[in-house]
Amino acid sequence: MGHINDTLRALWTTLRTAFRPTSTVQFPAVVRPRGERYRVSFALPDDENGEMACIGCLTCERICPSQVIKVKPGVKRESPVTGKKRAYTDDFVIDLSACIQCELCVQVCNNDAIVMVREAEQPMFEREDLVLGFARLRKNATDRTRSWGHGTMLQESQEPAKVEKKAPAAKPAPAPAPAPAAASEPAKTEPAKTEPAKTEPAPEPAKEAAPAAVEPT
Amino acid sequence: MSALGHGALYGAVLIAVMLSTVAVGIWFERKFAGRMQSRLGPTIVGPMGLLQPLADVVKLLQKEDIIPAGADRALFNLAPVLATIFSLGVAAVLPLSPHMIAADLDIGVVYMLAVGGLMVVPTFMAGWASNNKFALLGGMRAVAQSISYGVPLVLAVLVPVILSGSLSLAGIVRWQSEHHWFALWPVIPGLPAFALYFMAMLAEANRIPFDIPEAESELVAGVTTEYTGAKFTLFYLAEYVHTLVGSAIGAALFFGGWDGPFGPGLHWMVAKTLALFVVVYWVRWTLLRLRSDQLMELCWKWLTPIGVALVLIAAAWVQFAPQGAL
Repeated sequence: MGHINDTLRALWTTLRTAFRPTSTVQFPAVVRPRGERYRVSFALPDDENGEMACIGCLTCERICPSQVIKVKPGVKRESPVTGKKRAYTDDFVIDLSACIQCELCVQVCNNDAIVMVREAEQPMFEREDLVLGFARLRKNATDRTRSWGHGTMLQESQEPAKVEKKAPAAKPAPAPAPAPAAASEPAKTEPAKTEPAKTEPAPEPAKEAAPAAVEPT
Repeated sequence: MSALGHGALYGAVLIAVMLSTVAVGIWFERKFAGRMQSRLGPTIVGPMGLLQPLADVVKLLQKEDIIPAGADRALFNLAPVLATIFSLGVAAVLPLSPHMIAADLDIGVVYMLAVGGLMVVPTFMAGWASNNKFALLGGMRAVAQSISYGVPLVLAVLVPVILSGSLSLAGIVRWQSEHHWFALWPVIPGLPAFALYFMAMLAEANRIPFDIPEAESELVAGVTTEYTGAKFTLFYLAEYVHTLVGSAIGAALFFGGWDGPFGPGLHWMVAKTLALFVVVYWVRWTLLRLRSDQLMELCWKWLTPIGVALVLIAAAWVQFAPQGAL
């Protein structure tokens, strides 16, 4: 009797499901609402002067964990817009088939020259179609909605809190109550360590010191 | 009209109707199965994916026609053709409406059982000729299954035959339209006999939960493992036609065929057939495949004794029931 009961229950379940709304949608035709920070593809936007922002510094290529970015830096020349000499890039290729959407390339870009976009590429038939070339990336910058983050903004958001910025000047003051000795100690050693590498830009030591000071809390 | 002309006309019309019904049936099955699994089914090809069967057929016909090395070429090529012929052949005795029967044989039920039972021959032929162990295993299983399930099938069909006293399908339907549908009265041999028929028909047509000869998870694709392109299409078609014809015969034997509460005719037969056809899909996409030994146990330990009992009850009913109750 148990078999018959189970069979009837199974039949009832499938019949009920058949008349319920489906839980899937036909993807390219219907796109489900995406999260606020949804990001899929890439774009190479212009800077404020209307020129392509990328200077071919290769930072993104180096940080990419899947090594899918290939940048070909161009020669430095005078900008037709501003008249100043600046670097250019000749070619920029991203292989989306291996991209893991980690957004590290966007985070490290000091020029906001690479951003991610919210709209996915159309489904493709060939693997090779997923390799986004220079023209495609440039076109995405105008055609598609940008994602939430861009380089400088993401860098700023990861910058330590404002209080920490004064850390070198007024060390005892910001050091929180719990462990003043522990907090001041690494902060003291920090400048010593960075001393030899003095050639680096000024804000760098402050940035390095900050996490050490924050850690004990 | 000469007998030959009559046969040719009906045959052509029946085949055309069967094939187009199967085409729409494939679309419906995919759509229905999708909904049962809470997904959409085909949507891209044509409006609501209606042209999907056409796309399927075009795709299948484009495939390379492969004959494996060491295969028995003659049998290998003959099997799908025979499968289609046998499955379509049963349709000849279908009583579609009082005036629309391709061949109203006196022994229509026997013909139906015989030709339907022959379906096992092309299936085993395909399994044997493929020179493939999975195909051969599938073929062996198909033989075991079809021979076993032939018994309860015959017993189930005997019930309406005994109750109506006719071996002609049209005669059985006529009797039902004059008296009552067998599935409704007498309930005891009638309704269980229909359930028995339905299960045995599923087993004969190798549909889930009795698709042991195909058993994708065990036998690759069973007897159709080595078949590609047009030949595979024929097997696929034969399976669908077999199910469709089985549904139609079930409707005729137990649900009064063309008879209906108002305006008896072709539409009732079609409606009942399609309703049973839908139930086949419904069962298919709900239940799991039985194991081979469970299948045999179900057949010989349950269905066959029940079938014998139902035949005895039907005989006793005809013999002893008061005249008014018949």
